Amino acid sequence: MKGSIQRQLTFSLALLLIIMLLLLSQVGLWVVDHGLRQHMQDNLQAQAESLLAALEKGPQGIELNRHKHDAVFLKPFSGEYFVIEFDQQRWRSRSLWDFSLTVPERRGFSNELIAGPEQQQLLIYQAEYRRYKTDIKVTVAHDYSPVLVSFQRAQLIGIGLGVLALLLTLLLQRLLVRRALQPLEHVRIQIEQLQLGQRSQLEQDIPVELQPLVQQVNRLLQHTEETLQRSRKGLGNLGHALKTPLAVLMSLLHRDELQRQPELSTAIREQLEHIEQRIARELTRARLSGDALPGAFFVCAQELPGLFQLMNRLHGDILTLQWQATPELRLPYDRDDLLEMLGNLLDNACKWADSRVELSIEQQGTAYYVRVDDDGPGIEESQREQVQRRGSRLDEHSAGHGLGLGIVGDIVEALHGTVQLLDSPLGGLRVEICLQQRA
Amino acid sequence: MRLLLVEDNVALADELCAGLQQLGYVVDWLTDGRDAAYQGAVEPYDLIILDLGLPGLPGLEVLAQWRAAAITTPVLILTARSTWSERIDGLKAGADDYLTKPFHQEELYLRVQGLLRRSHGFANQNHLSAAGLRLDEARQRVHRQGQDIDLTGAEFRLLRYFMMHSGQVLSKSHLAEHLYDGETERDSNVLEVHVNHLRRKLGRAVIETRRGQGYCFTGNGASQ
Repeated sequence: MKGSIQRQLTFSLALLLIIMLLLLSQVGLWVVDHGLRQHMQDNLQAQAESLLAALEKGPQGIELNRHKHDAVFLKPFSGEYFVIEFDQQRWRSRSLWDFSLTVPERRGFSNELIAGPEQQQLLIYQAEYRRYKTDIKVTVAHDYSPVLVSFQRAQLIGIGLGVLALLLTLLLQRLLVRRALQPLEHVRIQIEQLQLGQRSQLEQDIPVELQPLVQQVNRLLQHTEETLQRSRKGLGNLGHALKTPLAVLMSLLHRDELQRQPELSTAIREQLEHIEQRIARELTRARLSGDALPGAFFVCAQELPGLFQLMNRLHGDILTLQWQATPELRLPYDRDDLLEMLGNLLDNACKWADSRVELSIEQQGTAYYVRVDDDGPGIEESQREQVQRRGSRLDEHSAGHGLGLGIVGDIVEALHGTVQLLDSPLGGLRVEICLQQRA
Repeated sequence: MRLLLVEDNVALADELCAGLQQLGYVVDWLTDGRDAAYQGAVEPYDLIILDLGLPGLPGLEVLAQWRAAAITTPVLILTARSTWSERIDGLKAGADDYLTKPFHQEELYLRVQGLLRRSHGFANQNHLSAAGLRLDEARQRVHRQGQDIDLTGAEFRLLRYFMMHSGQVLSKSHLAEHLYDGETERDSNVLEVHVNHLRRKLGRAVIETRRGQGYCFTGNGASQ
């Protein structure tokens, strides 16, 4: 069995969303970082140039006009620093205070951040100019750590928002998928009802995507039912074609010519009866639908009164017949199959009972129990197995417990149930049939 | 007792007609369902034996037509359809008994007897008893006050009919319709002859003559 569609969809969507979010946030941060650094580079370049402009030719050579450069260079650890080197001289901005900045060898903008004072991370720009006939190397630095901190914060916020969006999306997706899959769930419930015999067709009123499936199932059900009906009708006709001539032959046994030959007529009668029993047994078995029709069901309260009316007509003058069933009990089996089973069970019990036969049908969990009790002589425990064996007693003259129970055994087998012969509380035999509900 | 046999198998019908006539029943035989539906509704039968697989009209529909027309004649279905669901459907359609082919003739005759008795209010009786007389239908004898009296076929038929309609006034034409086959037998005065034979064997008062109306079985003579 494959997992549910819902779970599969949730899993793949979550995976996709996480990958997308991570990718988006990383690329976004990288773009912003790159843009900021570019901007800083321009700034640093401008600063370097303004510093160069602040260099003036004074009485003691080159001097830095403090008023001409930015005030932030005066404030200690302000985040803006410079180092000016020329002719063995090295001027540092006041803001560097006692920190000695390691100036990189490379000209231009350095890609790596360099450690500055007080855990600052510095972006560095270095340029060389020539002024007043002197080579001047100007290095400016800018603290980038506040930006890094805000990047981290942005990352945290982004993750939080991402997770929230993820949860929200998954929740929404669950609802949407559930709504979209509702027709499927509907069909699933209907199929379950079909199995329990609570309906015989699936409803056609469903979305287009599922219609071929439902139509096909319905067509199959109808086809099975028709085939079953056809084969039952055919078997009925076959039975008719065989049984009527048999009836004629049995009648002919009463002819005086044959009555004068008792041995001959007994032998013929025995053979005819053998054929009759064989036909009865095989036709009954061939007519069984078993669980070919999932929509079939048997309503106890509807069928049992008719069956007992018939039983009473057959045996009611000497026997008391009673039935009880859980109210409104419906068994998910074919009506003909169950009537055949119950009819044979009861008829068999009636043949052996002294005064009473009782039928009870009840549901216990997922199993149905059918019990038929009689107050007859019962069957010795040692002989029970033999009686149940297929075809036993079929050859014997009287159709006793054997034939009836043989047919019952065939039916129960077709319904995937079990038969047990037990002692009845009424004193005779109890036949207990257990039918498991189909999954 | 006049029976209608509806059966399309000629060989079987021949055997059954012969057997039933031997038991003292007047038997009409039809093979087609449509004929049966009509004749069963028009003629006053005491019992109908009906096959289900009939040409013309299915047996169950024939039966349904009769019952819809409020024909209450007892019907015994005689069919090869032996499943319990078909038997139940047969009873639901209004049949009074159901016998499946192949069958033993004795079984059919017992069912016919039983059904006739039951339809005349003699339920749960193995013998037909009325007004001190007990009829032995197998041997065609009547038992009265510890004494067995042999009957001829015609007397047996007549007495059985009288006993089943004990206390009812039965006209000559009614009796002729239910007991005799063919116009010649009905027109003659055999009925009076047989009534006289019965009176001689069982006592004069057993059957009263109601002038202008017919006969009435009272059994007075027998119970004394």
